[in-house]
Amino acid sequence: MKIFWSFTRQAFQFIAAYRFNFFMEFVLVILRMYGIYWVWRVLYTQRPGAFGVSLDQMVTYGVMGMALEMFIWSRPQWYMANQIKSGAIDTDLMKPLDFHLYMLARSTGETLIGVGVLALPALLAAYLLLGVQYPPDAWTGLMFAVSLVLGFLLLFHLNFLLGSLAVVALDIRHISWAYFSLVRFLGGQIVPLWLFPTFLRVVADVLPFKGAYFIPISIYIGKLSGVAAFQALGFQTVWLVILVLLSRLLWGMAHRRLVVQGG
Amino acid sequence: MESLRLYIRLVRLSMQARLQYRADFIMGLLNILALNAINLGLIGIIVYRFVDLNGWIIWELVFLYCLWLLGHCLYSLFFWHFWDLEEYIVQGTFDQFLLRPASPLIQFLGREVQYIGLADMAFAIAGLVLAYTNLDLIWDIAHWLFFPIVVLSGTVIETCLILMVACISFWAGRSSIAIDMIAEFNTLVQHYPIDIFGLWFRVIVTGIIPVAFMNYYPTLMLLGKLDPQSPSAWLGYISPFVALILLVIAAGVWHLAIRRYSSAGG
Repeated sequence: MKIFWSFTRQAFQFIAAYRFNFFMEFVLVILRMYGIYWVWRVLYTQRPGAFGVSLDQMVTYGVMGMALEMFIWSRPQWYMANQIKSGAIDTDLMKPLDFHLYMLARSTGETLIGVGVLALPALLAAYLLLGVQYPPDAWTGLMFAVSLVLGFLLLFHLNFLLGSLAVVALDIRHISWAYFSLVRFLGGQIVPLWLFPTFLRVVADVLPFKGAYFIPISIYIGKLSGVAAFQALGFQTVWLVILVLLSRLLWGMAHRRLVVQGG
Repeated sequence: MESLRLYIRLVRLSMQARLQYRADFIMGLLNILALNAINLGLIGIIVYRFVDLNGWIIWELVFLYCLWLLGHCLYSLFFWHFWDLEEYIVQGTFDQFLLRPASPLIQFLGREVQYIGLADMAFAIAGLVLAYTNLDLIWDIAHWLFFPIVVLSGTVIETCLILMVACISFWAGRSSIAIDMIAEFNTLVQHYPIDIFGLWFRVIVTGIIPVAFMNYYPTLMLLGKLDPQSPSAWLGYISPFVALILLVIAAGVWHLAIRRYSSAGG
């Protein structure tokens, strides 16, 4: 637990050093929220209550999606790729700490700070200015919190897997960009999955990406509730277990390859 | 003329350097194509479900998106590295451009080419052709003359705005985040017609960061969506003038910045 805090502190110091940048990041998040707010507002004025959600729910969905940009913000795969490219990964591997856990602690610290410094203040502004809703009740809020943590862990492991790939591919910059847009698209960060045409819906429904955005946000706005919400949490958990195992396996292989190269 | 020849020579060298990495080149192109396809896909899904967005049907939105992209691709091909200007300044490597007997701007600009702009170009042209046929447009000669001027104006508008913002780093040492800010406005303007947004946003992208002149206003004119009775119909025609004004201002800002940089170094 202590290492998680130390990384959180480190991330905070980093932000404190680049205050201006973070203020601008904050403005960027607000701008994105503002954009998506108007898109849904115009569409729902055209067709009120379309697809079984209200305008308020839809606006909340859009704004939450932008706030959860934080999940993409911490990018362990880039750190890994850089360390591997420059050879500095040696020093990381020498630390008396499992590398996978080390990256998790790092990402958690960065994300916590991102949520605290950017997402929460931006959401607060959105509550005041854009009419974003609170979760309907405490129970929903709790389910959302659990789903959110699962979503973060899901995305972290996907990133970690991509980072492990850097051992083989070295330059993952381009793959990384395509991957981000795929996560945003199939994860339902901007457009919820219930609007997808059937064939895309089928694809998005089996892949893990929807666990990062679509499930937590749908729970938050009350679109997913009761049994369906529990099933969704189950879906996230199953994928998380698969991805953790895959990460251990793939990183184990990558690690061996690294040692051989270094030796 | 002399500096143009120098610039072309530098660009050719940068291109050769870039093309050394063949796999990187192809991955980059595919990536940009995928990115654009996903962006348009999202808009497509929304419009497919809601039929139109504030009166804009899908092919009109494709036109809007791709007109912006066509102007942008020239910027991303030749001027994308304004984003890196702060690194040159923070690390002091910008000094090399001041030591040589040629324009620092030309030297800096010739430093890099971003081939990925080619993928943007291919995508934009394909999108515009599809939009043109699907909207059953029949342009007269005036439209055809106006079109390339609009595209070039778009390039100039984006380049000048980003040049000016990049100059912040001569004073503050950092500027890339401010460039990201322009990019965010650009993204919104590229993806959605600005008439869906609130008044202050429309005022900003028209009068302060005039990116709406890259695609929105000329699109109104080119797609015949201009209402001749409207008091603001003239906005559909003035993109080239906006570009010219920005060009003059940007040149002034650059000269000021260079003078300021030289004096600080001494």
